[in-house]
Amino acid sequence: MNALWENLSSDFLPRFLAGMAVNFEIAAIALIIGLALGLLLAAGRLAGGVFTAITVSIIALMRAAPTFVVMFFLLNAIPRDATLFGVPFALSGVMTVALSLVPYSAAYVADAGVDAIRHLRAGATHGALLFLPNVTRAFFVMVMSSSAGAAIGVTEGITVILRQAEQLANFNDRLVLFAIGIVLFGIPLQAGFMLMSLFQRRFGRSTVEEEASA
Amino acid sequence: MAAGMRSFAALRTTAIVLCLLVAAVAPARAKTPDAALAELLKEARAKVPEACSQPNVDRLIKILCAKKIRVGIRDYYPLFATRAGEKREGYEVDVALAIGRMLGVDVDFVRVNAATRIPLLAEDRIDLAIATMGHNTQRDGQARFIRPHYYRSETTVVGPRELPVASMLDLPGRTVCVTVGNGSNAELVSQGARLMLFDEAGVLPDRLKDQTCTLAAQDDSFFAKYFTDEDFNSRYFQKFGFAQVPWGMAVARQGSAELARALDLISQVFHRDGLFVDIGRLHSIRLGFLRQQQEVWRKPECNTDSGTSNPNCVLPPLNTALQPTSFAADVTGFEQWVEERTGVDVTLPMLKTAPAWSLFKDGVIYSLILIAGALAATLIFALMLGAAMGSRSFVLRWPARLLTIALQSSPIVLTLVIAATVAHSLFALSTETVLAAAIAALGLTNGANAGQAIGEAMWSLRAEGANAGLFGRALSRAATQIVAFLVNASKGTPIASFIGAPELLSSLTDITSFSSGRITTYTILLVFYTAVVMVVVWLCGKLRQVLENRQVAA
Repeated sequence: MNALWENLSSDFLPRFLAGMAVNFEIAAIALIIGLALGLLLAAGRLAGGVFTAITVSIIALMRAAPTFVVMFFLLNAIPRDATLFGVPFALSGVMTVALSLVPYSAAYVADAGVDAIRHLRAGATHGALLFLPNVTRAFFVMVMSSSAGAAIGVTEGITVILRQAEQLANFNDRLVLFAIGIVLFGIPLQAGFMLMSLFQRRFGRSTVEEEASA
Repeated sequence: MAAGMRSFAALRTTAIVLCLLVAAVAPARAKTPDAALAELLKEARAKVPEACSQPNVDRLIKILCAKKIRVGIRDYYPLFATRAGEKREGYEVDVALAIGRMLGVDVDFVRVNAATRIPLLAEDRIDLAIATMGHNTQRDGQARFIRPHYYRSETTVVGPRELPVASMLDLPGRTVCVTVGNGSNAELVSQGARLMLFDEAGVLPDRLKDQTCTLAAQDDSFFAKYFTDEDFNSRYFQKFGFAQVPWGMAVARQGSAELARALDLISQVFHRDGLFVDIGRLHSIRLGFLRQQQEVWRKPECNTDSGTSNPNCVLPPLNTALQPTSFAADVTGFEQWVEERTGVDVTLPMLKTAPAWSLFKDGVIYSLILIAGALAATLIFALMLGAAMGSRSFVLRWPARLLTIALQSSPIVLTLVIAATVAHSLFALSTETVLAAAIAALGLTNGANAGQAIGEAMWSLRAEGANAGLFGRALSRAATQIVAFLVNASKGTPIASFIGAPELLSSLTDITSFSSGRITTYTILLVFYTAVVMVVVWLCGKLRQVLENRQVAA
């Protein structure tokens, strides 16, 4: 154990925290784009007729597309010298991971958005507000999923841990380091989920009361 | 006296006969390459200027007529050929100038790159290419390579000095950064290394420095310049080398027979006399191969005018030809058919060569095994952890809860790495071990979440006063969650490639590392996984129906 502390570089924690910030950054970008796209899809799904059929198919495809494969697809399908309307469109590693999460994020927002719009139409404002904790849940799921960036060299939290682990020769030291990683990732995640549960319970209760009085 | 005279005559006759016999049996004494070169140039010069106006004369004559040789050379390949304004320097530049001196002509440099060096020879826009060109069997049909080779590179694996990597045996499970299309990638793949692909070699040193890459593999001639930098040299080390490729100067296959012969002899003389070593030392390139070749070309059997055709003296080209599949021609026909009708450039490398086809088939099979395994493991862990979390026993319930919290807090990539680390410590490294570790990690992660839903369903049923058939009813109640995590498990299977599971993503990445057609390849990958996940979603929908019907019946 002492050997582990000796081998942990002095800047490990700052580097890990900087890496975790990248995880949050990726999730935030994916969520923002997902919100824009997902709400459009939700509106399309409720529009009726051919729009509904098309958007339902798009959402089903987005839901089925594995994030990791989408990431490699984006990485390899978009040329490094690509341009969009004359503007260079080369994706950075962070943007590649963020965009790979967009199909999940947009499909999730579309599903949650449809529920929220239905609640709003029924006059259940609190029910519609459940959209917020649901989106927060998706955000935390994406923070965890953004660790896929380690596979393409994005310096996020897990990448920092794995690089540190490569310097450790002892098997037990590696396991302890991984456990530290789980704790460090777990703290904000569990805190976020607890906060969201509280929020959800409060609004859930209000929604039941709202629906009972309606 | 007469007897003495007779015996002397007999002795003389015997000596003459013996001399004649020796002369008849012994081979004619071979010419030196210098003499052969002098004779060849003398004959060529004798044809000048009469032959200068004749069509279809050999390029050697054309060069002597023009009094200059057009040499295709690179503009930026540190230590070998660089250009600053009009000033060129490097090993290849000086070799070209030395050849010009031997021929008695000026050297006219023409800029070439990897894509243009052979076409410019064929179009008669250069006479000679000295442009960091590896001599392989594929290129042998496109240009006439000069032998002996003027340099030999190898792929070198570079990493931090403190990293314990010394040979190919240390590579399994490690990620190596490489450039797309590098001929040595296939060998790294076959040794169990994971590849991270980059378009250009120029980014590799920076990716080593910012720790994106722990190891990078590239031509040693590329890294040579970086190792002259003190800081880089103090931090990184060439761990080992492999895939040696001889570099050849090349001339056009047509109309260059005499020029090629002259250059063969010049190259032979340069090696024997140590000129290549001297020029190499001047530019700080690695000298091992050049010194070795000097020894070879000093041997009497090689130091002859026929030495360049002696297989004991010259090196063969690198054999890079991949065996085509039996249906490769049909695939090429299909690609052309699609392009003609749609204008879309479809390339299907996984169907055209035997190694790629084998990797592709294995990838599909392992992907399906992985998905089936992940689904089964998710279901089993969900049932076990669900029963434990729904149990009234504290001893069963809390360990299951703690495990679930830990698994929920661990990003899937980390869970996979932990599973692989534990598996490698217990079992020998093999495809089966990696697959089992990936299945366990995916099953535990998703099974813990689904199990939590089952446990919560059991407690909610107890709260409603239900006691009989509690577990079965909890399964029905948690059907949506179970199905959601089963789908999630199947979607997560490609991540197993991160720990080296040989599923389709891994296979296609390996295929694209030594062939073209990346866009088509990754599109096929995306379609495959999306289709498989949609099938899983459909099957899981059926399962949910069954579970929910049971709940209604109950």
